[in-house]
Amino acid sequence: MNKRILSLIYFLITVVILVAAIKIINYLPMVIQAGTIREYHSIEEVRSKLNIKDIYIPTYFPQGLVWPPSLVLAQDKPFTAVITEFKKAGKEAPALILSQSASATFRTDEKIRLRGIKEKISYPLKGRNMMLEAGVCDNEEPCSRITWAEGRYTITVTAKSEPPDLLKIAESMVHRLPTRGRHEKN
Amino acid sequence: MPMHISVYFDTYPGMYMAQAFCHSVIAFIMVERAITLWKINSPLIRQRFGLLVILLPIFSFPLYQLINPDRASIAFRLGALFDINRWLNLELGGVPLGALFIIIVFVTTLIFLLQEMVPVLRHTFESKRSGLHAAGSDNNPAVTRAVEQLSAEKPDIFTLDDDEFILFSSTGKNPAIFISTGIIETLSAEQLRAVVAHEIAHIKRNRKPLLLMAFLLRMTMFFNPVVLLEFRRIVQEEEKICDDMAVLSTKDPAALSEALQKLYYRDDVTNPLQLRRFSGMRDSLEEYSHNVQIGNRIARLEYSPVHGKDGKWAELIVTVIIIVGINYFVV
Repeated sequence: MNKRILSLIYFLITVVILVAAIKIINYLPMVIQAGTIREYHSIEEVRSKLNIKDIYIPTYFPQGLVWPPSLVLAQDKPFTAVITEFKKAGKEAPALILSQSASATFRTDEKIRLRGIKEKISYPLKGRNMMLEAGVCDNEEPCSRITWAEGRYTITVTAKSEPPDLLKIAESMVHRLPTRGRHEKN
Repeated sequence: MPMHISVYFDTYPGMYMAQAFCHSVIAFIMVERAITLWKINSPLIRQRFGLLVILLPIFSFPLYQLINPDRASIAFRLGALFDINRWLNLELGGVPLGALFIIIVFVTTLIFLLQEMVPVLRHTFESKRSGLHAAGSDNNPAVTRAVEQLSAEKPDIFTLDDDEFILFSSTGKNPAIFISTGIIETLSAEQLRAVVAHEIAHIKRNRKPLLLMAFLLRMTMFFNPVVLLEFRRIVQEEEKICDDMAVLSTKDPAALSEALQKLYYRDDVTNPLQLRRFSGMRDSLEEYSHNVQIGNRIARLEYSPVHGKDGKWAELIVTVIIIVGINYFVV
């Protein structure tokens, strides 16, 4: 066989070995340290395995959203964070994303990306000062996002819906009086 | 509010730093394998491959983010081939590995400043102050005789009245070669011709804007230890490239080899690992490594054919595609 082709085959074998090695190295931290971000089957599993007591879930859901959540991601190292996604029946893309994080800089997924924010206002709700943004998503669908500090968490709710629906969702997530001391490490 | 170190690695500068490091490690591994498997001996081609380790990580992160802004998202990170944040967030004995990474970055930056930037700035400043850029060659008869047979365009050659072995070239609009009387008196005419041809090769190479740009871009990777090491190797390859160009010009590899032997090679340099004291180990290490490099260059000139040919472009392209492909999934 041509030496050049043989070298190429050896090179590609090296690539396969390297990719396998990278995957193993990527998996090791999860073995060494529990609590790093991963997918869970349910909110209850997050509560029991990571011992996170305050997980903020709305009691109000706009019509068409499917329970249970389609995706639950959580971590308690290096700081506590929970992301929950909900879909509409028969749809693939998430229609509602809830994120709570003990770090204000936590990068939540932008699966619902607000393009061209039309309005950004500060909105007082149940003693919290919430930041409400309204705009449109990719195919001119109405989308909105609301963010506020809840105890030590920053909560962000993003939905493919108009602001009134989002406000109802946010309102149904907070029941207690506002507490102080946000963004503390666990 | 205690700030966790992981917060920094969620910012764009933090992600750039961490990913550039990972991307250069992968590029380094692939380039090493490519050079070995394709038996690349030409320093010119080896240098071209080495530049991938330096240049690709500069652009990879912004380019990938431009292609897919969701690359920084958790969903992408979870499905990625490698997520460095998993390691940086790891705490071993209460110390986050992210902190160790920051220390490595800090030390690398310090080495870059002290060993690369300061000498370059000092050299530029001193050569300007000492007026070495005076116009016109001083026509030392021995040097003139030695270089008259060189077919290449000859720059100004200045003689420095010094018994030490000093030989260097300056670039710019009026490139010049500076050579000490110590060297002129030590070398034969053939050897003198060979070392001048080597310096002319440096001047020619420094005129290449792409190479110059690559060297300048390298500065943006000041924090990257892999790039620091690779850049040193590239500089060594540059010396070999200029050796080859000199030999192609003089057709006399033995003369250059003998000149290197006379001027720079020492038989009595101690291996620093055999030293029993730490003091002086750094100097000893530098001297030893310099001597090893000179030894390699001498051996190449004596035993290996000179590589004047270009090529291996297909191999280079395959390597680039694979590095770029793998690194897209390394976040």
